[in-house]
Amino acid sequence: MPAGFEQIAVGDKLEGTPFLVSRETIRSFAEASLDFNPLHFDDKYMERTFGKTHFRGVIAHGMGTFAQMTRMMTDWLLPRGGMHRRMEARWIQPVYPGDEIRPRAVVSQKIETAKGRWLVFELTVENNHGEVVATGEAMAECPDNLAG
Amino acid sequence: MSEFDWEGFEQDFWKNAGRRKTWDQIIPGELRNTVPVTLTREVIRRFAEGIGDPNPLYTDETYAKTTPFGGIVAPPSIHIMLMFACTAEDDWMRSPGTINASQSWFYNEPARPGDTIRMVGKCLDRYIKKGRLYAIHENVFYNQRGEVVCSGRGWTIRPE
Repeated sequence: MPAGFEQIAVGDKLEGTPFLVSRETIRSFAEASLDFNPLHFDDKYMERTFGKTHFRGVIAHGMGTFAQMTRMMTDWLLPRGGMHRRMEARWIQPVYPGDEIRPRAVVSQKIETAKGRWLVFELTVENNHGEVVATGEAMAECPDNLAG
Repeated sequence: MSEFDWEGFEQDFWKNAGRRKTWDQIIPGELRNTVPVTLTREVIRRFAEGIGDPNPLYTDETYAKTTPFGGIVAPPSIHIMLMFACTAEDDWMRSPGTINASQSWFYNEPARPGDTIRMVGKCLDRYIKKGRLYAIHENVFYNQRGEVVCSGRGWTIRPE
């Protein structure tokens, strides 16, 4: 039985499941999320420059990385009775087909208020080249009277 | 209200691209046109599988009943799909070349099968930073009881 709020400590680490991005996972994410922006499919389109930014090919959805971050949070929180309440993400680098991304988090704050018990997390997502592709912050609530 | 029609969704974002507001035309505060969408177990399963999230909380009612949620819920990130499902083909978030810079989301009531979700969305402002055209936008998703499922802000770089 994983630890509940009392056993969780600032500095505790979360390891997400590595996710290998491919053209197929990008297609699958598009069909699920309905985001069919040509940034994710059209090699010819990606030869152009976007403002000041040039990509070296089609890129994965930023929200695909976001979804892997929220996945890590729910997978970790659910057996501990925590509810995912907030997720903030900033994209640092594009993710390309062939990259394997892995979210990680650390518990940065543990706070009790008059009516709640709260956890704050700092997140990073790295690719398999050791580069940070996204950073974020999350918050969870740990109700003390769990159903189920 | 009917179940979301996946097959009817226009996947070609170039089609009608000329009808969408450019950065110059976006009016801060103006509500985007939206339609409510009803979630079903099938919609939730399809979303969870498509984004690569195998947690049985989203597909297995027997398992989900043993969790604090008491039944199947949608992944918190369901707002990604709902933003497109609830908006029309001429919505400016479909503009090819839209690049996501940052997102900040707050999760309240979980979305469940049978919920009809309504989106209220608008651009808060548009600005230029480091030579790039940005929009900051805010979306709130309500269920049929008027409870907030989730709300969030996004910062996107708009195509020139």
